[in-house]
Amino acid sequence: MEEEYSQLDISIQEKDKLVAEVIRYVLFKTHQSSGCPIRREELTQIVTKNYHQRSLPSLVINEAREKLSSIFGFDMKELNRMRPSSNRPAARASQQSNADAKSYVIISKLPADQYTKYVENKEASHLTGFAFVVIGIIHLAGGKLSEENIWHQLKKLGISESDERNPIFGNCKQTLDMLVQQRYLQKEKVTGPEGNIVMYELAERALDESISAELKKYISQVWDNEEIKLLFNLHTVLFQSLKYLY
Amino acid sequence: MTSLTWRYHTLIQALLSRGPLKEEEFHEVFIGVSGKNPVRHQKVFNEALLRINNALAYVQFELRACRNQYDGKVYYGVVNNVADEQSKLGTKYSAPQIAFYKGVIDAIINDVGLEGAISNIDALNVRLENQIVLGQASQDSTAKLPTAFKLFNMSQKEKTLQELIKDRWLCQTSSDKIGLGIRSFFDLRGWFRTNEVPSCDVCNEAGVKASVCPKEGCPVRIHDYCLKEKFSKRTGTGASCSGCGTEWPLPEYESEEIDENNTTSPDESQIASANPVLRDLRNAKTEKFDSSQDASQRKRRRICKPEPAEMVEAPRRGRPRARKA
Repeated sequence: MEEEYSQLDISIQEKDKLVAEVIRYVLFKTHQSSGCPIRREELTQIVTKNYHQRSLPSLVINEAREKLSSIFGFDMKELNRMRPSSNRPAARASQQSNADAKSYVIISKLPADQYTKYVENKEASHLTGFAFVVIGIIHLAGGKLSEENIWHQLKKLGISESDERNPIFGNCKQTLDMLVQQRYLQKEKVTGPEGNIVMYELAERALDESISAELKKYISQVWDNEEIKLLFNLHTVLFQSLKYLY
Repeated sequence: MTSLTWRYHTLIQALLSRGPLKEEEFHEVFIGVSGKNPVRHQKVFNEALLRINNALAYVQFELRACRNQYDGKVYYGVVNNVADEQSKLGTKYSAPQIAFYKGVIDAIINDVGLEGAISNIDALNVRLENQIVLGQASQDSTAKLPTAFKLFNMSQKEKTLQELIKDRWLCQTSSDKIGLGIRSFFDLRGWFRTNEVPSCDVCNEAGVKASVCPKEGCPVRIHDYCLKEKFSKRTGTGASCSGCGTEWPLPEYESEEIDENNTTSPDESQIASANPVLRDLRNAKTEKFDSSQDASQRKRRRICKPEPAEMVEAPRRGRPRARKA
């Protein structure tokens, strides 16, 4: 590693300073945006602002990633920004990882039970719960659901689109929009037979393996409960989920 | 640079995610990851913190203890030591909100009674103009005020006040006044020094809420908990001022817990001073978080900040309120 840097005519101290700046940027930005993904360009800019060596940004970002892991226990996960399915060209093309579309989020590497016990900020559990429910609903619907339908389902939980002073969530619409900014969902206007409708689709963060596995486990647990089945009047969703799970 | 294991990561992440933790809470996490109670294994505890700080120094962060001056309780938190471009991003508050916060802090520091708190009304009457960046002409300063500042009305001040209390930058004291929150105590160390807030004679931390020497003109001030710690152990000899020798009446302390805590609370300076590098780091670089050049506030929580849910209404016990539009 040091050889690579020395070839680039940059001292260890300068390099360390850059790496620290990138780490600090990631941590502060994550806090400010409540966990929205950070674009790779934002990180390369920190380096290119003062240094013009071509391969430097990649080296610095990689080392920042290592240090986030070794110092803090954070995994800096790379996400490729998805486009809504109706916009996507042939499957092959969309799988090309376009450097411009790369973004990062930091995830704790701690085991889930440890995280819940010691690290989780319980004051924010309502948001995590909300995210889980919304992602679960859209998942059960096949990965895509209209805006109208989502609010229809959320209404059953006492959360309505027009509510700006919900005692738990404050502005409910903003709470849903936050999930879009955090790249759990993506929004798309679709021209349908009845005019324009807004569709919500699962985005790259919700499609991650770790999340979908947990979701399926949870949903199947819920669905095992007879009383819940009776209470939930989700005919179409039930149909869809049966197709999905078995 | 050392690579830390999951045990240390848990400690760090807990503080980043949950914000400053009370000593008991932090000890709980420590026991959970190490099986050792810091009270009985102080050496292990201190060494662990030292290891963490050696690693955190790479990004100019520090894990340290700090006292809530209103109740004397010790808290642990991870703080940022350098105000730079990156840390300026680390706030969810807008420019007028930050100016408002700074105004409130100013008013609290200048509280003559050294209660370290101001009334709700005084907080709401804080003027943002005084917080504008230095260098602007003092005359006609209202004309140069950014629109956002001009539009920052009373109800927004109220809302911001509640948010700041919820986020623990400010607090509601037991006498229903507005005081510094624990995050402010952590972050503003350097700022206190720059603004020459007199320190406590015993612990050398800023004396925001403290007792002054009963002798008029004597500048010595001591925190209530420092007074108790220093003098309650002595039987027979009363408390006296180290500056002028005047007899110093011990305060009526609200909770008696402070005596029990004396044996458990670690010496704040012990953690950092054990490592001379860290000590230098702290002294040289503890600039105030919200530096006057650029209004900013840094908090580090990984998880979403909850939307203002329950707005804690400060109980208005029949106090007349002069409401300005």
